[in-house]
Amino acid sequence: MTTTPTADHIYATGLRNQWHPVVPSHFVAPGAMRKVTVLGEQWLLFRRSDSTLSMLADRCPHRGAPLSLGKHLGDRVACWYHGVEVETDGTVSSVPGLPGCNLEGKKLVRSLPVREVAGAVLAYFGDEQHPEPAELTLPEPLTDPGIDAILCYAEWEGGWRYAVENLLDPMHGSFLHHESHTMFDGDTTAKFRIRETDRGYFFEKTDQRGVNFDWVELCRTGVDWVDLSIPYPASAGPGGPFGIVGMVCPVDENRTGVFFWRYRDVQGWERDSWRFLYKTLIEKRHWEVLEQDRVMLEAMPADADQHENLYQHDLGVVRLRRLYRAEAEAQAQGQAVSRNL
Amino acid sequence: MTTTDWPYLDVHQSRTHEPTPYEFKLAATLEEVFTKDGHELADVVRGLNARQVHAPDGGPWTEESFRAEIHRLGA
Ligand code: FES
Ligand SMILES: [Fe+2]
Repeated sequence: MTTTPTADHIYATGLRNQWHPVVPSHFVAPGAMRKVTVLGEQWLLFRRSDSTLSMLADRCPHRGAPLSLGKHLGDRVACWYHGVEVETDGTVSSVPGLPGCNLEGKKLVRSLPVREVAGAVLAYFGDEQHPEPAELTLPEPLTDPGIDAILCYAEWEGGWRYAVENLLDPMHGSFLHHESHTMFDGDTTAKFRIRETDRGYFFEKTDQRGVNFDWVELCRTGVDWVDLSIPYPASAGPGGPFGIVGMVCPVDENRTGVFFWRYRDVQGWERDSWRFLYKTLIEKRHWEVLEQDRVMLEAMPADADQHENLYQHDLGVVRLRRLYRAEAEAQAQGQAVSRNL
Repeated sequence: MTTTDWPYLDVHQSRTHEPTPYEFKLAATLEEVFTKDGHELADVVRGLNARQVHAPDGGPWTEESFRAEIHRLGA
């Protein structure tokens, strides 16, 4: 079970040693369990009745049956196969078939640090050299009490990196989303630049702002996320543009969970009006825009990035790939070195 | 265990219920008011009243009643 992952595997299934979003919080009700796949691995989300959440490898320490087929016992899970009981920190609390067996009391199941943020579960996926969670700085739009954010979660066929690349490619807004309620306006030609920040970089138009999807910031703050802003038509009421905080869950090589928090700097009746319009009319229009992305990304051939002819608008994507590729190489290298010690 | 249905593609994730005809009408009218009349609270109250979209008590809207109702609907 412990083979050293290659850089290709890490690149395809998601970077280690950082936090990733997993699923929306409401996917696991109090007292419930849910099987999830993340970074190509099987996990069990387990929530106690007091809402405390834990995340365990979905693999019984006895003979490897999925714990997710087992029974929720309130503060532990009992494997269905031979009844071995595992606590939320991964410790075997009892082996009913052989009381006193030396498995009891041992922490034999991997458990991941989890946090719940703005309606989503985040978990830290460290490799063997980095078990301690990386420092996590949350996106300000999700923590600022003056900003209202509403989560939209969707599952797409296709690798995680295409979903992130799509966000680092603002120019697609003027074409793919030209018929949408928010991105019909602005120039269809543009010049872009990369502007470095201490947490990532901006990829932005040099000559237009506030008209279409004109800029995006990649932020690497323990979790990878993007921030961007899209103007609303007058019909959306006061409060100006809406922002998006986007995160991506690498499910496995061919599947991705996307998290989009639509946020707006609104308070009082203006906030209430936006939320009301959002629920009643706007959410569906946003969804139709997101479906355009899904249709396009799911239709991309698997070898799309092997036969490209890139131009200036793709600098944001190129930079992203370099960054992720280098990190995948370094992570594979780090694990290989430590194994040979 | 919760079953894992893949893919999860749910258009409406923020609603607690299917909007009522009253809510649909109010929302559509609000969008029209925001587009044609302005973004101030006074514009909204005037715009809704001019279009005969009534407050829950059947009378004209006031700033107070609009604030209260939109808070209930948008919470
Ligand atoms: S495999 Fe789980 S108890 Fe035996
Ligand atoms: Fe898009």
